[in-house]
Amino acid sequence: MSMSMLSRSTLQIIVCTLLIFTAANVVKAAEHSHQAMQAKTEQQAVCDETKITCAKTVTSVFAPNGDLWRLWAINSSMYFQVSIDNGLTFSATNRIAIDKEKISARNENRPKIAFDKYQGVYLSWASPKEKKYTADIRFAYSNNNGKTFSTPITVNNDNLLTGHSFNEMLVTDEGDISLVWLDSRHAYQLNLQGKPTNGSSLYLAKANFRKNHKVFSNQQLANNTCVCCRIAMDYNNNGDLAILWRHIYGDNIREFALLTVAQKTVAQNKSAQHEPEQKTPYQISYDHWKINGCPHQGGAISINNNNRYHLVWFNQGDLGKGIFYASSDDQGKSLTKPISVGMQSAQASHPHMNTNGNNIDIVWTQFTGTTHQLWHQRSIDNGKSFSKAKLLATASSGSDRPFIIKKDDVSYVSWHRPKQGHWIKAL
Amino acid sequence: MKKLSYLSSIFLISFCCYCYTGQTYASSIAFDQEQFSLMKKQNKGKQWLMLLWSVDCPACFKELAVIQQLQHQQDNLAVVIINTDANNETTQERIEIIEKFGLSHVSNFHFLDGKSEQSRYIIDSNWYGELPRSYFVESNGNFHGKSGLIKPAIIAQWLLN
Repeated sequence: MSMSMLSRSTLQIIVCTLLIFTAANVVKAAEHSHQAMQAKTEQQAVCDETKITCAKTVTSVFAPNGDLWRLWAINSSMYFQVSIDNGLTFSATNRIAIDKEKISARNENRPKIAFDKYQGVYLSWASPKEKKYTADIRFAYSNNNGKTFSTPITVNNDNLLTGHSFNEMLVTDEGDISLVWLDSRHAYQLNLQGKPTNGSSLYLAKANFRKNHKVFSNQQLANNTCVCCRIAMDYNNNGDLAILWRHIYGDNIREFALLTVAQKTVAQNKSAQHEPEQKTPYQISYDHWKINGCPHQGGAISINNNNRYHLVWFNQGDLGKGIFYASSDDQGKSLTKPISVGMQSAQASHPHMNTNGNNIDIVWTQFTGTTHQLWHQRSIDNGKSFSKAKLLATASSGSDRPFIIKKDDVSYVSWHRPKQGHWIKAL
Repeated sequence: MKKLSYLSSIFLISFCCYCYTGQTYASSIAFDQEQFSLMKKQNKGKQWLMLLWSVDCPACFKELAVIQQLQHQQDNLAVVIINTDANNETTQERIEIIEKFGLSHVSNFHFLDGKSEQSRYIIDSNWYGELPRSYFVESNGNFHGKSGLIKPAIIAQWLLN
């Protein structure tokens, strides 16, 4: 073999291998592009966002005039429908008339809607920012029953690119807004100082747009809260806010905590025979769930007209597993012995509750391995005893958290079943 | 000389193959009962780790970072990563996170949209979805589930030969 033949042969080999290399990269690129394409296709496969069946979560509330509103968010827009017959039929879908922005709407996170008695409609949501796990609490107000909304504003006043999410909102008939959320500003500052952190903080904001108090106050209520469970709150008989959340005790023990925030001055409290202002949250659960992670399971609170606090929660601790119900007549300082609810072996989880006079209703979901189930249990003696659990509905393609909402003296369960539809029924 | 040409071609082709496999992007596979059985079959006789995570779980990212670090110490870690979001809306985010942690070539699976509970049930009917969730699988096939962030030293001890 001559030298020229060798060169030709080597050249052929090099060309050949380069071709193989190029082909391999084409395959790789194609594979990668296929992956990206697959992602795109999966996203594009999402159905018509104006249809509630496409939503992952739904928020339902009765307005003071008795209309039932339901709200969902898809692709940076919020939509609502109104029913004048308690959910039998709904209006056409309306888009909330604000500019598009990202809206957290899955699992424990979802937009909230509330009303005053003067055609005021109040919206709050968490809007994720460009950096992972950062978001702002956003708010918009309508004074014309949802026809138009104010330009959204940011409720958290720290102007930091950090976590603010899991918003909950209550509005009185007179338009007093109370907004709570989990806030990472404290953790953010500690991180800057190189100090260790664990969890978020609980924040409360107040405003009244009807009375032209349009700048939200920001008050820190607690530190070391769990970072990924919804908050629950209700007004007690004094008009004070009772807030239930998952807290981090000791070495990552995730238990529920309760704080009642006095709405009035100390002098007013004394004259109205209020409980003394509470400084430290009461620990509610003692199930000893030790987890350095995300339970993704918040609790629920409802206070009835004798000022008894009724609570449900979920834990998977060494000392308590499953759903529990308990009540308190001293704002959580002492509690009745927790009652187990639902079948632990059937994945009983995501409890919600509401009170109506002496009626206590609890709903939760279970799973059979193939079917999602919605279960209900009622007490008619203020929580002393409960009826046998009753299966209310099933779902085959996913399950949102169930909620109990009230219209006058009737309680309704609201359960969204993605791809199947939103289900609402009087209990 | 013919032998030299032959050896050159073997070397070059091997080099190209190395370049290719070193940068492979493996797609995430939709998780179901069949895939789970296959996964267990493929890891039969091995001591391996099954790590479940979500884009909404900050602690999960710390665990993914641990796997990322261990990769630098040892190739072919016996680890399977499963995303539990079960939500088409998070698909792109899921892919980006896995790429960010350099875990694209690890065995990746994801729960299908709306199949969160079904998928969980296949793995463990006593697991409620809290995250991160890690299953330490012994070489005899026994699963040991643990919720929450696992200490890096424990993961390293389990995975590094």
